[in-house]
Amino acid sequence: MATLEPQNEAERHRDGTSSETGRLPGTLIRGGQLVVGTALVDYGRRQRSSRGTAATVGGGALIFSALGGMSRVKRALTDRTDSERATEPERRETAVRRSITVDGTPESLYEQWRDPETFAEIMGHFAEVTPVDEGRFRWTVHGPYGRDIGWETSVVVDEPGEICRWETPTDAVLPNEGAVRFEEAPGDRGTVVTLSVAFEPPGGTLGSAALEQFDIVPKKLVGVALDRFKSLVESGEVPTLDRNPSGRGSGDTV
Amino acid sequence: MRALTWHGKQDVRVEEVPRPEVVNPTDAVIEVTATAICGSDLHLYHGRVPSMREGDVLGHEPMGRVVEVGEDVETLEEGDRVVVPFTISCGACWFCEHDLYSLCDNSNPNAELARETMGHSPAGLFGYSHMLGGYAGGQAEYLRVPYADVGPVKIESDLTDEQVLFLSDIFPTGHMAAENADIDENDTVAVWGCGPVGQFAIQSADLLGADRVVAIDRVPERLEMAREHGDAVTIDYEDEDVYDRLMDLTGGRGPDSCIDAVGTDAHGTGVVATSDRVKQRLLLEDDRPTVLREAIRCCRKGGTLSVPGVYVGRADNFPVGPLMNKGITVKTGQTHVQRYLGPLLDQIESGNIDPSFVVTHDEPLERGPELYETFNDKEDDCIKVVLRP
Repeated sequence: MATLEPQNEAERHRDGTSSETGRLPGTLIRGGQLVVGTALVDYGRRQRSSRGTAATVGGGALIFSALGGMSRVKRALTDRTDSERATEPERRETAVRRSITVDGTPESLYEQWRDPETFAEIMGHFAEVTPVDEGRFRWTVHGPYGRDIGWETSVVVDEPGEICRWETPTDAVLPNEGAVRFEEAPGDRGTVVTLSVAFEPPGGTLGSAALEQFDIVPKKLVGVALDRFKSLVESGEVPTLDRNPSGRGSGDTV
Repeated sequence: MRALTWHGKQDVRVEEVPRPEVVNPTDAVIEVTATAICGSDLHLYHGRVPSMREGDVLGHEPMGRVVEVGEDVETLEEGDRVVVPFTISCGACWFCEHDLYSLCDNSNPNAELARETMGHSPAGLFGYSHMLGGYAGGQAEYLRVPYADVGPVKIESDLTDEQVLFLSDIFPTGHMAAENADIDENDTVAVWGCGPVGQFAIQSADLLGADRVVAIDRVPERLEMAREHGDAVTIDYEDEDVYDRLMDLTGGRGPDSCIDAVGTDAHGTGVVATSDRVKQRLLLEDDRPTVLREAIRCCRKGGTLSVPGVYVGRADNFPVGPLMNKGITVKTGQTHVQRYLGPLLDQIESGNIDPSFVVTHDEPLERGPELYETFNDKEDDCIKVVLRP
């Protein structure tokens, strides 16, 4: 099975953002162009003469050059939508671990997590989860065009108040495993709940394609599941945009 | 039902949308009787706030009558008259229990989206983008109110809608801005922006014991309102240099507290302000921090900067050196409205303040789109718009 350790370091390098060396002179030149260009535009806008117009045009060109043309503008656009970037296939991490602090004791939270009804609601954003028998669940993820993908998990480690770990058989269509751990938080802050999931897509790229096709983003799966669990425990309900009115209709997905 | 919906930059429409229902057991649905346009709605109007979708119902300053309650609602029943805070808060998490309602951990269904951008998610808000909840807003005939036992405040006296409506946002927001400014006796407080939040900040600074309040704007009727209702000294920044005048007024010390009641869409002059506008158009910068820069420059050493003005993303040329070297304390955040509802309703009921003084326009909801434009252009002496669905 894939490791449950987070792979953020590796991602960062693949992303190329750590290779800053050698960029500085270019940045300085571009910065200078931007300042001078902006000053020229500002000056030009105040002058109602051909000289003013020339300054504006020249300044605009400098600014555009400083920005490296449309490619950089495009990249800037991408920067704005971090959420979209996070779901780009090449950045999709297959093993994720994250923690949240929830009001309650490790024992009581463990009990709630292990309640099949609660568990189905926690995972409701991602899959339909139905109990098969003690410690076994059937997971169904709905894909596009009415196609579903599914698997069964069995609890393999179960220590009340501490940890619960589950996994699919190795021949599952999309082998994966998950674990939740409960640890007392410092002070009176409740319990640190740590959820990990790892997908081991079969057949390399073919398997990755399955993650993409069914829009399985482990990072989002884990983050949202923890949010849902916390809200359910602390406020008695999961916040929802179900039947939320808008010009698009009723509900958030339309 | 009829609602004001967002369709892009400077495109607000009156549209027929589905009527909201009780979904979760702590929900209530109210029939809106009065709802206001907030200055921060103009940031949406300018297309500044990310994660808005076409058709989103706007509005976060509503009040009305309860028409439906979920099975777990204990404090409200059908027919109750309520003002609804713009912050949606569960009342049970660590933040709500510490009176930090606008930082509620549980009310944002899109918390993951907010976390990716900000590191953590604040509370969900009504009608204020999907990153901040995605909840339909209150510029509509009906509104679904989650956690109905935590937010809405019941109005049992015969005060008019205009007198209590601003408990939903701008009165508590101005008040928290003044509280965050750490005002002591003999202090001079400078307030940038004399829109409705600025007006309430000026009044609250006075209530909290400021020796003198200086109000900065460029719109004559707003400066007039600050002089008349807030007893403020005023500076028109298009006529005078703000730094020079503030130093004159304070013997060179600078104001003890500065309040930025403007936020991301600040106007300004000069090279840096132009650079901001260019970068904003090219999506290289989200906010124009003109007021923050000026306030940090003017603030007394060791003074306090309070920021109720809304910012949405990243800003350039931020004077972090002056901020650090002058030892300035910064306090900010969306308003913890629920914290202030009781005390401020008392202030209104006892006659210490009548918030309706800011209202300049009171019109049917159908006129919403044109009033967004009027408010945005500051035409027709417009300071505050109330809409009636």
